[in-house]
Amino acid sequence: MKNRNIYLLLLPGVIFLTIFMVIPILLTIGSTFINEGSFSFDGYLHYFQDKYFIGILLTTLKVSLITTFICILLGFPVAYYISKVGTRTKVLLLLLSIFPLLTSSVVRSFSWMIIIGKNGVLNKLLLNIGLINEPLNILYTPTAIIIGLVHLFLPLIIITLVGVMENMDEDLLKAAESLGASRLGVFAKVVLPLSMPGLVIGSILVFVGSFTAYTTPALLGGKQRVISTFLYQNATTLNDWHTAAIVATIMIVVTLLVTITMNQIAYKINPKG
Amino acid sequence: MALFTLENISVAYNKQNILQDFNLEIEEGKFISLLGPSGCGKTTTLRLIAGFLESNNGKFLYKGKDYTKVPVNKRNFGFVFQNYALFPHLTIFDNVAFGLRLRKASKSEIEKKVASVLEIVNLSGFEKRYPKELSGGQRQRVAIARALVIEPDLLLFDEPLSNLDANLRENMRIEIRRIQQELGITTVYVSHDQEECFAISDQVAIMNKGIIEQLSDPATIYNYPKTKFVADFIGFKNFIDFEDQKIHENEIELTKSGFTFIVQKNKANTSTDGKTGAIRPDNIVIRPLKESVTAGKNELPGKVKIRTYLGRSYQFIVETPIGDFTINQELLVPYQVGEEVILEFPANNMVLVK
Ligand SMILES: Nc1ncnc2c1ncn2[C@@H]1O[C@H](COP(=O)(O)OP(=O)(O)OP(=O)(O)O)[C@@H](O)[C@H]1O
Ligand SMILES: [Mg+2]
Repeated sequence: MKNRNIYLLLLPGVIFLTIFMVIPILLTIGSTFINEGSFSFDGYLHYFQDKYFIGILLTTLKVSLITTFICILLGFPVAYYISKVGTRTKVLLLLLSIFPLLTSSVVRSFSWMIIIGKNGVLNKLLLNIGLINEPLNILYTPTAIIIGLVHLFLPLIIITLVGVMENMDEDLLKAAESLGASRLGVFAKVVLPLSMPGLVIGSILVFVGSFTAYTTPALLGGKQRVISTFLYQNATTLNDWHTAAIVATIMIVVTLLVTITMNQIAYKINPKG
Repeated sequence: MALFTLENISVAYNKQNILQDFNLEIEEGKFISLLGPSGCGKTTTLRLIAGFLESNNGKFLYKGKDYTKVPVNKRNFGFVFQNYALFPHLTIFDNVAFGLRLRKASKSEIEKKVASVLEIVNLSGFEKRYPKELSGGQRQRVAIARALVIEPDLLLFDEPLSNLDANLRENMRIEIRRIQQELGITTVYVSHDQEECFAISDQVAIMNKGIIEQLSDPATIYNYPKTKFVADFIGFKNFIDFEDQKIHENEIELTKSGFTFIVQKNKANTSTDGKTGAIRPDNIVIRPLKESVTAGKNELPGKVKIRTYLGRSYQFIVETPIGDFTINQELLVPYQVGEEVILEFPANNMVLVK
């Protein structure tokens, strides 16, 4: 009796999600299989033969994976440091590190334009100190998108990693050390595996965020399309909603696949995570 | 020769000295306990020996070599933590094999050693389980096995049994002692359970506020405490601060407010510097006051103030001209509150402490 009442608490949320998310998604996915009134895979076949589309899909995947990887590399030491300092410093550092999330993507992207543009701060600096002879072409390339996305999503990794590292028993690290592990050994054999749950969640958030990001790639990518700008172009500029729905479905599937793969890898490293 | 020596060690947290001019020597193969009230610096001492903490000055010598700056992972000391600190992501086998893998032992060697150490702690067959799937006592034994398997030069325990229930605690301490003696590993053991320390150790160090008050074998500490703190800590609840003393051939005569006490000379009561008499509640004899009798030597008149039933015995708090005394006695017919009594302090049960 009691248990059943508890499930009732879920009802408002479930109804809301069903009406505004599950049904629209199912309708979108369903619509992609209908071509001129009958069931077919034509839409998908068409897209997987289209070199232009495949190129965009691969670029987006590449950009998102590299972004995730860089975020992990940069986020780990920062999170480790933050998890070790005193409470007051910790709050301050966490606030500082989530600052990018609190600013508008548009503002953030424009700042990056000023920094990495052809006549931007970075090029001027490098030219002046003589490291390069020609200005670097960073803006409007995948690299620019990666820079913008790392800036945006690094906080997600940091926050999730600080979460797990804070709860890591200090004595476990000491135990490893007393058994003969060097600093690096302690990290590889204890800290890393025990951070896996946070790392997986953080990585998935970063990956999904990067894969579906719109503003940052639209502003920093120039002519370089990613999958969400491509979708937007089809839906609004070309008014081709059928194509947009297919692209959206492909996005959902890719996201799910990558998420599952990341989970599998994490399970291999830490089966008890 | 001492296996290791702490010389004038000081440790401070936030500029507050926890250990100061701390000295300790431990002989090879011995089991030594650090015993003391909460916050007295036992864990700090142990962590310093392990290398988790650095001392501000002083030296840590191991077999005559200066170990003060040797990092934890080069010391080859086994540490058993209070909360076990087993790696939750590894199986029991991998937990125990952790130190061997770091020492680049071969696969067959690892398997052999893990199997034999798990045998010692009675956990054969548990290799594939994870720490979560074990009981507290089993985890404890895994923690011991993990520390033992690297054949440590020194074994350090920080209250390893405090999370276990009383029965298991007793079994485990017998087990720990058996393993230690079988392998002859020098061991430092921290606890604030007095009985546990006495039962398990060759030597007990009683600590107070960062210093060792007394270091002796358990029986000596139990019977002949040197300081008031030690006496109080091991249950000498009653103290008399004497005013004057005369040393005779076999005994010492002391006075307090006109009452005279004779204390026998023995192992502890030889020096003249101890002027406080200490006696356990069990050792004071309580007698009814008869009209004709007045208090003689080693006796005090008094009045029962509080009576508590302890099950096996009664506890009386008796008010006397020189203060209150606590007495435990097994009696069929107990004294009433307010009853006049005589307290007798047997000459061979009073100890003089500093
Ligand atoms: N990390 C720390 N920072 C500041 N003070 C500390 C720290 N660790 C311990 N102390 C202080 O040092 C003193 C000794 O602590 P320690 O842990 O050695 O006590 P202990 O004898 O092991 O006590 P217990 O029986 O409660 O475990 C205590 O007063 C404690 O408050
Ligand atoms: Mg302690």
